[in-house]
Amino acid sequence: MRRYWAGLALAATTAVAGCGLGEADQGSAAAPSANLAGEVKGRVSLQTWALKPKFTDYMQGVISAFEKKYPGVKVEWLDQPGDGYSDKVLSQAASGTLPDVTNLPPDFALPLVKQGMLLDVSQADPKLSDEYVAGGLDAYTYAGFQGVYGYPWYLNTDVNYWNSELMTKYGLDPKKPPATFDELVAQARTLKGKSGGKVYLMSRRPELGDLAEAGIPLMSDDGAKFTFNTPEAAALLDKYRDAFKEGLLPRDVLTDTYSGNAQLFNEGTAAWTTGGGNYITSLATDNPTLAPKVVPSKDMGVPPLYVQGLSVSKRTKNAPAAIALARWVTSAENQAAFAHLVSIFPSTKASANDPYFSKSDGTNAGDAKVIAFASLAEAKMLQPVVVTDAMSKFVRQQFALAISGDISSKQALDAAVAKCDELLKN
Amino acid sequence: MTHRRWFTPWLLVAPAALWLCVFNIWPSINTVVLAFTNAKPLGGGRFTGLENFTRALDDDQLADALLNSVVFMLVCLPLLVMLPLLLAILVEKKLPGIMFFRTAFYTPVVASAVVVALIWGWVLDDRGLINGFAQWLGVVAEPVPFLTDRWLLLFSAISLTIWKGLGYYMIIYLSALGNVRRELHEAAAVDGAGPVRRFWSVTVPGVRNTMLLVSVLVAVSALRVFSELYVLSNGTGGPGGRDMSVVMLIQLYSRGFTGHLGYASALSIVLLVITIGPMLLLLRLDRKAA
Repeated sequence: MRRYWAGLALAATTAVAGCGLGEADQGSAAAPSANLAGEVKGRVSLQTWALKPKFTDYMQGVISAFEKKYPGVKVEWLDQPGDGYSDKVLSQAASGTLPDVTNLPPDFALPLVKQGMLLDVSQADPKLSDEYVAGGLDAYTYAGFQGVYGYPWYLNTDVNYWNSELMTKYGLDPKKPPATFDELVAQARTLKGKSGGKVYLMSRRPELGDLAEAGIPLMSDDGAKFTFNTPEAAALLDKYRDAFKEGLLPRDVLTDTYSGNAQLFNEGTAAWTTGGGNYITSLATDNPTLAPKVVPSKDMGVPPLYVQGLSVSKRTKNAPAAIALARWVTSAENQAAFAHLVSIFPSTKASANDPYFSKSDGTNAGDAKVIAFASLAEAKMLQPVVVTDAMSKFVRQQFALAISGDISSKQALDAAVAKCDELLKN
Repeated sequence: MTHRRWFTPWLLVAPAALWLCVFNIWPSINTVVLAFTNAKPLGGGRFTGLENFTRALDDDQLADALLNSVVFMLVCLPLLVMLPLLLAILVEKKLPGIMFFRTAFYTPVVASAVVVALIWGWVLDDRGLINGFAQWLGVVAEPVPFLTDRWLLLFSAISLTIWKGLGYYMIIYLSALGNVRRELHEAAAVDGAGPVRRFWSVTVPGVRNTMLLVSVLVAVSALRVFSELYVLSNGTGGPGGRDMSVVMLIQLYSRGFTGHLGYASALSIVLLVITIGPMLLLLRLDRKAA
């Protein structure tokens, strides 16, 4: 029996020792730096995220034009479905099969940067800042890593959307929507009172981004720890707690995800939601009778900046073509053409003066687009890219406990910061 | 004519053995290995000894999850051991149309847990069927917070699990009841035993081994509960995440680019150890009773 246990212990030790786990040092898996110079020719792969079938023609046009410009190049376009994209990219990265050029939002790109899997595109393009807006480039610049790890592709932000019919019916003026959180609570009270509690104005609970939107710093300047357990943050959560206690938010806001808010808006149960500049266009499909009654307005605090970009794999065997392709897809003219198809905004400086984005066609969707475009000037990435799913979920849970009154706002914030710091270190 | 080649049996078991090694044994070994590291999905990790386990000891989320799992098991265990047995005795009788009832009781078993939980979610929601009906009748002024109160959400998930499991365990008991000799019932009846006495003195001893099997199955599945709580809480783990089960925690920590695989593996081992506990206890109780 003793021999059996000794054998088991030896096997376990061997397994642990032989598992090939080393210190996860940054760049341990780094591929040799690709040769950036050279002729643009050969095969190159491009991976996008859920563009088929809606934008197939657009992408095919962009690719065909690229192949025409560089006759020796053949682009292999892969489009991945919307669901499970992070898992797909993760498996590609783990198996060393990342395409040459991949659509990666900044938070997806960071773990790959840490493993040295992405190319610093500023090496190939020292004048990036002349072509792309600062917010877009900042999104692909990470603390502790030199360089820029993606070409910003397109940008978006949030706009407030109000159901004018419900607001008018229940004693509010849709032309004067709330511009501050206090006004929001006051109008929510009016709406609740006059609708007999059938309709809500507020129907989402706060998240980390809401604290940042209110000007509360989420992390220390060096990015080493979280700092959002401030009296200002506690005061904001207290306001949410009081509003919740007063019945100004639906009770299941504590367990609903963010999409719950948009769903309630689409159903006509909530009179306020937030969404990208193209929200009304998509709403016209889901609820065509509601879409014309929606009134957009500017975000109440610092507008969030959403960035998509194209990163180049460091393992690419065809760096010149990969860089040329990423530059081509994110060029001012191609981004502008894309933005004319759907309400996203180019990340290139050349598009700033395009009247298409700054002048409304008079429709509410056109107004939303103009508001979103104007908001981009002050928009910021509200949530740090180091915030993981586990962190976000824990923060949301603590906020829910504070809003329901189970614990104080300070306790919730302290617990959330402690957990986020712990997860950041591990 | 027989051919005796030494490798024939190995060839026959090879596909299943390969499957078992790749999808069961290797992941299990890897989980044990990862539990002692700070592994991430990309870039491996380093050996950290018992750090993940000491971290688990201080984890309030894990404490909540363990409490939920234990409450889940303690409520489900007696109900899912006794109710299906009573149901089996009812449908065992050869009455006209009894097949309809057998099928009806079994239907929830074949439905997907996610679909069933979604339907129950709509039924129990603040704006759902039960609350709408109760408010229409004037029984309650405010909706009952089935899905937004920590304990009501847990007991809603328990109710769903019991409703879904009844048919499955009923079928197991039906086959066991067929092995209880009819003469024993007849002899007990001749001796003046009523239906209740016959149930406790003839039926229960006759299906005792099956009851033990059902107890083990219920205990293990209750400790590993996931779908019911996940779907009813919309993936959030209930208000404040206090309705998470251990499996939901494992899923939370193991997902995505930044998954904490080492910690998730340590939680898996904690769950394994905890699952083995009630199994050993039930086996010991059975041995004592025998």
